[in-house]
Amino acid sequence: MNVLPPWQWPRAAYIHIPFCAHHCGYCDFAIAVGQDEQIDAYLDALALELQTLGTPQAVRSIFLGGGTPSHLNCAQLERLLVLVRRWLLLEAQGEFSIEVNPDSMDEAKVKVLADHGITRVSLGAQSFHPHLLQVLERLHGPDQVARAVEWVRQRIVNLSVDLIFGAPGQTVADWKSDLDRVLALEPTHLSTYGLTYEKGTPLWKQRERGLLVALDEESEWQLYREAIDILEEAGFEHYEISNFARAGYRSVHNQVYWANEAYFGFGMGAARYVLGRRETNTRDLRTYLRKILAGESAIFQSEELGEEERARETLAIQLRRAEGIARCRFRLQTGRELDELAGEAIRRQVELGLLRDEGETVALTRSGKYVADAVIERLL
Amino acid sequence: MSDPRFIRNFSIIAHIDHGKSTLADQLLLRTGAISQRDFRNQVLDDMDLERERGITIQMHPVTVYHTYQGQKYELNLIDTPGHVDFNYEVSRSLAACEGAILLVDAFQGVQAQTVANAYLAIEHDLTIVPVLNKIDMPIARPDAVIAEMEQAVGVKPEEVLRASAKTGLGIDEVLAAIIERIPPPKGQPEAAVQALVYNSHFDTYKGVVVYIRVMQGTLRKGQRIKLMRGNTEHEITEMGQFRPTPTGCDSLSAGQVGYFTAQIKNLSDVHIGDTVTDALHPTDTALPGYKEPKPMVFSGLYPVNNNDFEELREALAKLRLNDSSFTYQPEVSEGLGFGFRCGFLGMLHREIIQQRLERDSELDLVQTAPNVTYEILSRKGEILEIDSPQKVPDAGQIEEFREPFVRINFLLPAENIGDLMQMCSERRGVYVRTEYLSPTRAILVYEMPLAEVIYDLYDKLKSVTHGYGTMDYDFLGYRAADLVRLDVLVHHKRVDALSTIVHRATADRRGRKLLKKLREEIDRHLFEVVLQAAVGSRIIARESIAPMKKNVTAKCYGGDITRKRKLWAKQAEGKKRMKQIGQVDIPQEAFLAVLESDQ
Ligand SMILES: Nc1nc2c(ncn2[C@@H]2O[C@H](COP(=O)(O)OP(=O)(O)OP(=O)(O)O)[C@@H](O)[C@H]2O)c(=O)[nH]1
Ligand code: SF4
Ligand SMILES: [Mg+2]
Repeated sequence: MNVLPPWQWPRAAYIHIPFCAHHCGYCDFAIAVGQDEQIDAYLDALALELQTLGTPQAVRSIFLGGGTPSHLNCAQLERLLVLVRRWLLLEAQGEFSIEVNPDSMDEAKVKVLADHGITRVSLGAQSFHPHLLQVLERLHGPDQVARAVEWVRQRIVNLSVDLIFGAPGQTVADWKSDLDRVLALEPTHLSTYGLTYEKGTPLWKQRERGLLVALDEESEWQLYREAIDILEEAGFEHYEISNFARAGYRSVHNQVYWANEAYFGFGMGAARYVLGRRETNTRDLRTYLRKILAGESAIFQSEELGEEERARETLAIQLRRAEGIARCRFRLQTGRELDELAGEAIRRQVELGLLRDEGETVALTRSGKYVADAVIERLL
Repeated sequence: MSDPRFIRNFSIIAHIDHGKSTLADQLLLRTGAISQRDFRNQVLDDMDLERERGITIQMHPVTVYHTYQGQKYELNLIDTPGHVDFNYEVSRSLAACEGAILLVDAFQGVQAQTVANAYLAIEHDLTIVPVLNKIDMPIARPDAVIAEMEQAVGVKPEEVLRASAKTGLGIDEVLAAIIERIPPPKGQPEAAVQALVYNSHFDTYKGVVVYIRVMQGTLRKGQRIKLMRGNTEHEITEMGQFRPTPTGCDSLSAGQVGYFTAQIKNLSDVHIGDTVTDALHPTDTALPGYKEPKPMVFSGLYPVNNNDFEELREALAKLRLNDSSFTYQPEVSEGLGFGFRCGFLGMLHREIIQQRLERDSELDLVQTAPNVTYEILSRKGEILEIDSPQKVPDAGQIEEFREPFVRINFLLPAENIGDLMQMCSERRGVYVRTEYLSPTRAILVYEMPLAEVIYDLYDKLKSVTHGYGTMDYDFLGYRAADLVRLDVLVHHKRVDALSTIVHRATADRRGRKLLKKLREEIDRHLFEVVLQAAVGSRIIARESIAPMKKNVTAKCYGGDITRKRKLWAKQAEGKKRMKQIGQVDIPQEAFLAVLESDQ
């Protein structure tokens, strides 16, 4: 049993599978395209990296993210799941999630996932409009989403769907119909991400060259507001800036991040936060394989924050949650008083109607959510 | 002791970029004062900023020797700056000389500073050696330019030498003319000592280095001397001449130019224009001296972080050690906190001082828009000097509001006269006269409020004349005008650092423009920011900056957190150059918006 608190010692683990069939236009994750022949070596490396745990660890959540974990074939998937479960012991009622893409799913894969204890599937649908999927440079079409959902649902109840809004040319009508169609699939959880143009991505390059026009702030705001209105109306709780859940279906794993608690990380480009230290593995597949297979560490960035910095970071991250920051818990976790750090700024944001101060907790109001980054910036 | 008959003292004067420093280079090379190996272009321009900008900012004296017709001569030359802000350096240099080389670019022809500097030399009774420079250029138009010189400053065409400071063509003729035409200095080495202090600089080890031109008598190392203005006595510890590096000597006698040090700790103890004499056998007559250059342009300088005030004070004090023409005084602004009101000779001077400050100290500074000095005659009959809009009293206390006027000479292509006249009348200019140098070039003379001149008149002139117009101005005096203080309220709070003094007739237009400009400079906030312009209690314009609508990043997962934190740090860094007034972040650019809202 571990006696350290969850912001020190992890109760959650992230495992990164970088392989994808193709590079989507907006994507700047750590990915590997056209290198499927490396998958087996990668699983070897993961096995070695997991072994560095020494003893198997009990966790409440495991998250297999990507890249595209579902890009692995059945045998590879099976090997991955067995491997992960050998080192990470899921508590009863624990969450075991995997990210999948509609175009790489089939019934057989669903069976492997369910048979090996996957409890939650996160499906990257992004849009139901062919023209927007094309702008985003996604591989799949709208019907593949419905089919994938059907297969998953035969075995796994807890289903999350990702949507992207704010693609160039998207109208409010487009977005409303996306929301209608996703609700018809009856997911337990939804993530709606406003499109960002990350430096170096294909979409970013197109925007730089003037080949596409990004939506303006007003339109983005309208789409975001529609999402909150429609999904709340449909009975979802807006529990984090981009996330909505039916009662009892919040993502355990993501809540670890937003509480600024500790987590393990394995795989190329994976981040971990253990004993107050942040580390990130190399984002280069070859380097990752070479290092790990040689028995070395694949860490390329690591830092340990001072107490004050850690407290401010906790403030910034926790404020993204619907429940915001609980003063008492904040003190316990960071050793700092919230009001000493940002009391005056909080009062000011409350006056502007962007924050709600309920005595024990401080949280964003509806208007505050729209401009969360600016609000947070002023508290730092 | 040198025989004055074999000494020649002269300055090189011209419009900006006509080749003064390049001619000095040639003279140094030709006389062997500097070897080809040590040579670099404009070798006398040794300050970092001079080299970077390719202009002369300070005068540079240098002594060279030249043998002419079997006789060795000592030539003391002073390279001068061409920019109007540093015009006082030209006057100082001329007072140490008997002659001046007037250079004119053979393509550009006579320009405003050519005329202004030529007249300065004439006022000082100096012999002018006119030289047409850059005749190596294929586009040179020597005959036309010589005609302009005759018309504008009255030189005789047959006296104009043709040279190229770049290729060395005609330099021997220039040297010959210096010796033949410029009269030798008149003083007597045996007379009572009388030396003119024409410049000084501060040296950390030696104290003040005093630049002198000996008019009468002889100064010697170890001699006890008196500075007549302050009546202070010192002993000369070291003396010498610039050749071009400081080179020691034991005496300097009538007619010679050089420097001495006397363990003087404070630059302010040495007045430029003062007379140096022997402490035991003083002369009875002091030399006439100079008018002190007066700062014409003022602006506030504030540390972004109020704790840096003392550090800024130190940095300013250090700068002033070597530039006594700039002034500073502590001032308090409601919006900006503690800072200084600084006075400059002109806009270029201001820019240079700011650049030096930023380079020498790591301070983040906010600079307010520049203004000129005004005079107010109060109801009580007092005259108040107003160097900051913040000092303008209530309208009820003002009997008369006065502003500085200048006489401004434009030299420009005749075809642009119409456009320029319109521009001048928009700026409250009073027409004086037009003179034609040739059928295509003219001098246009106006009287105009200085405030209308300093900001961007020069740029506007350049654009109206496609680069072929130049200007020069002289201070005339103060004149009454219907002036008001234009205030700016940001979120209902008056920001004193954004106040300006404007003519009543233009207040509404300026107010509207200023707000439009401010609106562009101030970022959106989490609330609506209201901007207002007011004269007294009357609001004359209003603008608002809509609140931010959406500003939130979609994702914040494990790997993103470090990246996010760095982003926050970067944003915080960006905020550093902003001043927070009330709850509004105002960037440095906003304080200068006042300038661009001029037209
Ligand atoms: N072609 C040609 N170019 C010249 C000649 N003399 C000077 N120049 C060029 O003209 C430019 C200005 O020369 P400077 O000697 O710096 O001019 P200046 O009069 O000292 O300028 P300020 O000190 O800024 O007033 C430089 O680029 C020189 O190389 C010349 O005889 N022929
Ligand atoms: S499938 Fe996902 S991880 Fe792969 S390229 Fe597309 S967005 Fe990126
Ligand atoms: Mg020069």
